[in-house]
Amino acid sequence: MSRSDEAEGEGGGGADRATEDGSAANEPTADDGSDRPAVEPVVPPADAALGVDDLRRTFGEVVAVDGISLGVPEGELRAIIGPNGAGKTTLFNCIMGTLSPTEGGVYLSGTAITDEPEERRPHMGMARSFQSNQLFTDQTVLENIRVVVQTTRQGAFSLDLLRSHYDVGRERAIEIAEAVGLTGDLEAEAKNLPHGEQRRLGIAMALATDPEVLLLDEPTSGMSPSATTQTAELIEEIRDERGLTVVLIEHDMDVVLSISDRITVLDRGSVIATGPPDAVQENQAVQDAYLGGMREEL
Amino acid sequence: MSGHADEQASGGGPGGGGSGGDRSGGGSGSWFSSGTVGQPSLFERYRIPLGLLVLVVVLRPAVASDVLLGYDAIASKMLIMMLFVAAFNLLFGYTGLLSFGHAMFLGFGLYIPAILVQNGLWVLPAGGNVTFFAGVVLAVAAVAVYSYLLGKLIVGMGEIYFALLTLAFAQALYFIVLRDWWELTGGSNGLSRGTLPDFVEQTRGAISIEAFGLSVDWYWVVGVVFLLGMLALWQLIRSPFGRSAIAVRENEQLARAMGIDTTRYKIWAVTFSGVFSALAGVLLAIQNTGVAIENLNVFTSGDTVLMAVLGGISYFFGPIAGAFTWLFVEDFLTDFELWQFPLSEVTLVTLDLGDVLAYWQFFLGALFVVVVLTAPEEGIWGYVRSIPGWLRDRVGGVTR
Repeated sequence: MSRSDEAEGEGGGGADRATEDGSAANEPTADDGSDRPAVEPVVPPADAALGVDDLRRTFGEVVAVDGISLGVPEGELRAIIGPNGAGKTTLFNCIMGTLSPTEGGVYLSGTAITDEPEERRPHMGMARSFQSNQLFTDQTVLENIRVVVQTTRQGAFSLDLLRSHYDVGRERAIEIAEAVGLTGDLEAEAKNLPHGEQRRLGIAMALATDPEVLLLDEPTSGMSPSATTQTAELIEEIRDERGLTVVLIEHDMDVVLSISDRITVLDRGSVIATGPPDAVQENQAVQDAYLGGMREEL
Repeated sequence: MSGHADEQASGGGPGGGGSGGDRSGGGSGSWFSSGTVGQPSLFERYRIPLGLLVLVVVLRPAVASDVLLGYDAIASKMLIMMLFVAAFNLLFGYTGLLSFGHAMFLGFGLYIPAILVQNGLWVLPAGGNVTFFAGVVLAVAAVAVYSYLLGKLIVGMGEIYFALLTLAFAQALYFIVLRDWWELTGGSNGLSRGTLPDFVEQTRGAISIEAFGLSVDWYWVVGVVFLLGMLALWQLIRSPFGRSAIAVRENEQLARAMGIDTTRYKIWAVTFSGVFSALAGVLLAIQNTGVAIENLNVFTSGDTVLMAVLGGISYFFGPIAGAFTWLFVEDFLTDFELWQFPLSEVTLVTLDLGDVLAYWQFFLGALFVVVVLTAPEEGIWGYVRSIPGWLRDRVGGVTR
């Protein structure tokens, strides 16, 4: 428990710092000259709500992530884009502890969490949704959320044997389901939900961990244009209402340009630019590496 | 499938597996549902304890009726095996860990009280009732420690290795008991004499329990222990602990990402499964009025897996259905010799099937194959569950 106390304490400190950073993020183009897309982190990784310090991850000969540094200030909505194979999901997996980085560190509100086991991280205030729909497929929609609420309340392991699961976290789970707009039958099995609703459920489960930092891996993939718009609105709403720091991998450029405060562009495992949407769009390196290629693809 | 969360480990209910074609619209779940999210009806909450009670009351007369076996000696053994297979399924069906050596946990309950009762220990006299209960406590404590440590050792190695290592440990234990270095276990002969405490009375093969001047039929003693054990398992599964274990089985990667310490849940699932298996072992030693080493061998472990799968690992009552079917078919086919048609009084055709049916395993195997091919995970209980919905649809079709 001492670790999480520590993390919370640091989080409080982070909030103070972030008011400055947050206001800067809200007026990104106040001084056009200084807010050019840069390769350096916006804030030092160790001071950010979520920081990544010179992270490397190799798979045998392949270098998936090659020295990435990020500093996401508290309350920012950061999009991470990049062509396929740029290392976005590997980066996410390293941040969340699904993979351990070959080198480098991960910081949550100033605390180094690089060596924390994966299952501890949601309890420290970070959560993720997956790129492919990862659900407890045979359980009900409600149970999917409820079991996460229960875990958040009781910790990574609890020998809570004498109560019924009906009495733990159901109301909260219903609240969260409503908050993300899961309006259908909550007693339906998760596997029977339409694809878009499943992605929404994934977000709901991540929110059920009461995160301060939320990582979303392609939340709109496979969605219709209207569902995509709804999801983008939902993400903005979540960020605004809960004051979360959101990091999002996204392929839909309309979503990225409309909701993100800053965009980080990856190419071949490295950051090639970080900055506000307008600036990143105009950046020559980005156009060469990514946006140009993207237009050709389309 | 509203409101079935309590019973179901997985699967879409009766319609989810191979039997789906029988139902249309509606969904058989709806009649249990109270309709309000988060507010299960009382019936919904407690139908499993109710079902268990009915089972204990009805099983013996049902088995003893002429329609089934015509004698009831096997009823108490059925309850014991049901408890054992249900304990196994806590691990397999609910936590997703396949144990191929579950007989070893049964062995703790079989041997430890029997050895203690036979030999006595310090102040505890051989054959004493207190000695027996001390043995039961010791067996449960020993199996809890053993299975916890075993779990800690092997749970992290992945599914296949878990199955293989449980098998390896069970075989090691089997050979230790077989070699009998300390002359306690009786080796291949097992333990037959002086293993029962004083309160167990045997009269012409029937067992009864003498306590406080009362004589209680063995079946009812088993019934009470069975009920207590099964209720404890049910509570485990419906508890927040059980739900986390189910999450681990459903999607381990997701469970970990959501903050569930999957390793510790698995270790404790092994522990609880071991304890309840040993409890069944204690009953089995009295049921058999002694301990046979066959109960510890690899075939017992294998049968356990088959019974669970046959009955349906997705359901709380699946192992119960599986153990019942297994033991019933075994006894029925072994006893069955003459097939007389149409009635034994007015016989037109008589077939002597004794030679064929002696190979009862073949028929059980065939049944197993059919069930697994048509409804894996749903098993026999999946079919039983789908009957009400099927009937409703048929009757509904007629009346409209």
